[in-house]
Amino acid sequence: MGSTVVMDDPAVQVEKLTLIYESNNQRVEALHNVDLTVDKGSFVSLIGPSGCGKSTLLRVLGDLLTPTSGQVLINRKTPREERLERRIGFVFQEPALLEWRSILANVMLPLELRGTPREERETRAHELMKIVGLTGFENAYPRQLSGGMRQRAAIARALSTRPDILLMDEPFGALDQITRDRLNMELLQIHEVTGITVVLVTHSIREAVLLSDRIMVMSPRPGRISRIITNDTPRPRTLESRNSEAFDALVREGNRELEKGCADG
Amino acid sequence: MADTVTPQNSRSTAKRVMDNVGPPLVVLTVMLIVWEAACRWLDIAVYILPAPSDVFSAFAKHGGTLLYHTGITSMEAVSGFVIGSALGAILGTMFAYSRFLARGFLPFIIAANTIPVVAIAPIIIIWFGHGITSKIAVTAFLSFFPLALNMMKGLQSYDRVVMDVFYIAGASPMQRFFKMRLPNALPYVFVGLKLNVTFSVIGAIVAEFVQADRGLGFVIMTAYRSMGMPRLWAAMLLSALLGIVFFLIIALLERIFVPWHASMDERD
Repeated sequence: MGSTVVMDDPAVQVEKLTLIYESNNQRVEALHNVDLTVDKGSFVSLIGPSGCGKSTLLRVLGDLLTPTSGQVLINRKTPREERLERRIGFVFQEPALLEWRSILANVMLPLELRGTPREERETRAHELMKIVGLTGFENAYPRQLSGGMRQRAAIARALSTRPDILLMDEPFGALDQITRDRLNMELLQIHEVTGITVVLVTHSIREAVLLSDRIMVMSPRPGRISRIITNDTPRPRTLESRNSEAFDALVREGNRELEKGCADG
Repeated sequence: MADTVTPQNSRSTAKRVMDNVGPPLVVLTVMLIVWEAACRWLDIAVYILPAPSDVFSAFAKHGGTLLYHTGITSMEAVSGFVIGSALGAILGTMFAYSRFLARGFLPFIIAANTIPVVAIAPIIIIWFGHGITSKIAVTAFLSFFPLALNMMKGLQSYDRVVMDVFYIAGASPMQRFFKMRLPNALPYVFVGLKLNVTFSVIGAIVAEFVQADRGLGFVIMTAYRSMGMPRLWAAMLLSALLGIVFFLIIALLERIFVPWHASMDERD
């Protein structure tokens, strides 16, 4: 259901994307000739060693960085158009909540900035609090919550404007394994229920395999996609999906590719 | 549950207030007794150290005029504080947004800040005349730098990731300022305001020292010339009280406006 494949109408279409920046008078090619297609409603992970450009690629999709050359389309529009229409949700590694606002007010923030009427944004925020399992913490302040709960609030905030695509930059990197597992399951459920397209940057091949339809393995210097691993094991998936032979095989394949990338660099 | 929690909480609040207020009250009482006893038994001359009872009788005798002069000094201090803080806030904001302005002006502002107020006060009084305006100007001059610097620092100290969140949400520059950078700067703003409010009383009194016909600084100078030491002590205590009251008002405002900040947590 979440992985409906509509070949001629992709959510993300990247062609010959190159991004070069200067650092200490040195030209660094963060991304070189990257092609990427993400089908609508699918879950795609970007994985690779640090410096492979996975976060850079994600930030280009979110209009946080401008490419040097190449074409980027999100639902057939430029990232800027999509962002200004509030059709992009972005979750960062840190929750980045406003500490002077209650959790509810934090979740409502993007709607407030867009000028959505108060009543409407409150209804929507309560709905989201329920989806991410934060009901009862509406009036709490960020520093009263655990790291996992803060990240849940950040996910709810990213979903508040009903975006077409959810971009996630190592959102669970700072969490312990148990919290991480639980949030993985909740993310799968959100993906299942809303049918939203997700692009996730992660360091964990097991996390990537568990969640994704396709895993883009990237390698550094210059940053590029070196292999695409397809995981068509059935959904809905659970934590037990990790105990299957097929899961292990995909993880092995991913690890092999990652080691190769490291040896190259 | 909730019913049993509330009285316990209020009891512990009362206890906390007593923990904070009790010890200084005991020390003050002991100090006053020792001071009074020392003055009487050691026969200390009044012009060297008036006994607390002397100071109290000065309060009683000159109460009305002392209150009048306290009012004048308060007025100067508050006006100078408001004007200085407003200018400081505006300049601090400009510096936070323009690297050029910050780099261009800061060296001179820091240099001006090192001028002793007693040196610049006569100049300002020449410019602004012998009335209250010149005292306000000296006060504003003194209670300007701390907020300008803290405002700039506060507005620049936002989290880059929070800025990205606002960018993704398509926030306007105004929204970024009022919903993110300004609230984020408030703890710094209050650091600046607390310094300003303390300096404002100093500024007003120093300006009155240089030239004045009213105000606590004027009372202190005239009492000094006529060796009216109990009256001088009374004026000194009033000026200290003024500074404390102003500081407490700002601290109270901070509790209201920045309750979320970590520095507001109860310690131990």
